Amino acid sequence: MTDVRLGFIPLTDCAPLAVAQTLGLFAAEGIEVTLEREASWATIRDKVAVGALDGAHMLAPMALAASLGLGAEPSPLIAPLSLNLNGGGITVSRAVAEDLRRLGGDKADKAQALAGLVGERRAAGAPPLTFAVVFPYSIHNYLLRYWLADAGIDPDRDVRLVVTPPPRTAEQLRSGAIDGFCVGAPWNAIAVAEGAGEIVALTSDVWRAGPDKVLALGEGWAAANPEAVQALLRALLRAGDWADEPANRRELTAILARPEYVGAPASAIAHALSFGPQGIVFQRHAAGFPWRSHALWFLSQMLRWGQIGPGADLAAAAGRVYRPDLFRTAAAAVGAAAPQADLKVEGAHTEGWSLPGEPAPIPMPVDIFCDGRRFDPADALGYAAGFAITRTKVGA
Amino acid sequence: MRVLVIDPDPARAALVAEGLSGVHPLEVRQAAVFDEAEAAAFSPDVVVVACDSPDRDVIESLREATVANPRPVVMFADRSEPGLAEEAVKAGVAAYVVDGLAPARVRPILEAAMTRFRLMQQLRQDLAKAKADLASRKTVDRAKGLLMKERGLDEDGAYKVLRKLAMDSGRPIGAVAADLLAFAGVLKGDRS
Repeated sequence: MTDVRLGFIPLTDCAPLAVAQTLGLFAAEGIEVTLEREASWATIRDKVAVGALDGAHMLAPMALAASLGLGAEPSPLIAPLSLNLNGGGITVSRAVAEDLRRLGGDKADKAQALAGLVGERRAAGAPPLTFAVVFPYSIHNYLLRYWLADAGIDPDRDVRLVVTPPPRTAEQLRSGAIDGFCVGAPWNAIAVAEGAGEIVALTSDVWRAGPDKVLALGEGWAAANPEAVQALLRALLRAGDWADEPANRRELTAILARPEYVGAPASAIAHALSFGPQGIVFQRHAAGFPWRSHALWFLSQMLRWGQIGPGADLAAAAGRVYRPDLFRTAAAAVGAAAPQADLKVEGAHTEGWSLPGEPAPIPMPVDIFCDGRRFDPADALGYAAGFAITRTKVGA
Repeated sequence: MRVLVIDPDPARAALVAEGLSGVHPLEVRQAAVFDEAEAAAFSPDVVVVACDSPDRDVIESLREATVANPRPVVMFADRSEPGLAEEAVKAGVAAYVVDGLAPARVRPILEAAMTRFRLMQQLRQDLAKAKADLASRKTVDRAKGLLMKERGLDEDGAYKVLRKLAMDSGRPIGAVAADLLAFAGVLKGDRS
């Protein structure tokens, strides 16, 4: 049996790992997996980089950032599997929620009301509002910025963005240290349950069917252990299928609520799993497929916010990290359908659609951004430069 | 030089702070949680942080120079010779320095911290093992007592039965003894 050490952070979307372990799906594939719960993304990244872990549940943009050497020495990682679509949310303090109701009424666009509040505070000489995210290289950072900028709020100038560990978000909202945050499940639901704040938007309201975490593996480890990689993927594909099945939701919630996994109240986890029109999706709709267009979208946002320069070779980075070829081999082995293409235009479907797949077409969900903009993966630079608020200019 | 130690484990933080005070003429402070305002007031040259602290991600975000944060931090082990980063992460410690500080001045601090982290881990493991050994010995004693009473064996004979069970099943004698007591409880109708 090959021993595999995988790290995870206690969040709802570690579900495929927790399920595969609990149901014995790893063992059934002949691998012995040790799951190590970690307290920070930086530690997950460093442990995979030095080989103290073989792989991990990881923020998708972090896998790209680590490979590019952003914020750390370059550490080549591969992402052969996406772990989920949707799941995060934007929560504000009760005081800010009151202000938003006053400025916009209940039904108005909350981001527009927030822009009004930012202007009102500036005129009154009040300090800028502070919003927390989980990590600079995270979907939460990019979608919060997307949502703010869409309403004309410059996330670098009009508000203050900080990093706060998710377990402290509710407490910091109450103390006034932060005014809002964008984090993954179940922390939005927990802040609401504790009466600390109100959810004003879900990440799926900003990007419906947007990706979040991936399974990241050390590139060197994966190259040396191709059979273990395939065994891991087969087990996680089966686990994702199981986690998507509505009949298993109760059991899934109980597994995640255990102290060795998320260690949060089952009610908050159950609530978070079904957030929004789509809920968290683990495997259906090709959710597990590592779309290179997802990688390029993340890279476009790194460009947009000045985390990388316009000279970076985006296609090379996306191609080296995101590995749909490895996904397809595993999907064929478990009889799951896999997309034929590596890329798609993102944000292009206001209704369900059918994607060409092997061996059969795959039913796909609504996939849109809040501003209706489409992302063409062939022109990430033009896309990044095309926003009204951006740090990237074409030709700069 | 000023060093800030962030560690949710107060005993370990105290050990590290004590160890660091011998390295250099320096001022050492410890805290369970990284507080940006407190840190700014103290203005450390080096932040030593436990890998099991969620605050690593907070400090990590200070790497990006912004208006509010004109002095970005870097992870010290990034730039040092190969192997040091690996050693530090495995010991469970990371160090961040304000950009511009000479690495040679930081290395002894990181090494002193790593030594204390390893020492603490060893102490904790020894303590856990001592507790487990004690619990196992008590369990074995109770199982022996049960066998002596139920099977009319002497102490030596009871121990031999347990040892054979352990060898046949390839499990520790403490685990076999615990099973025996649990089964005896079930047979007697004990609900616990």
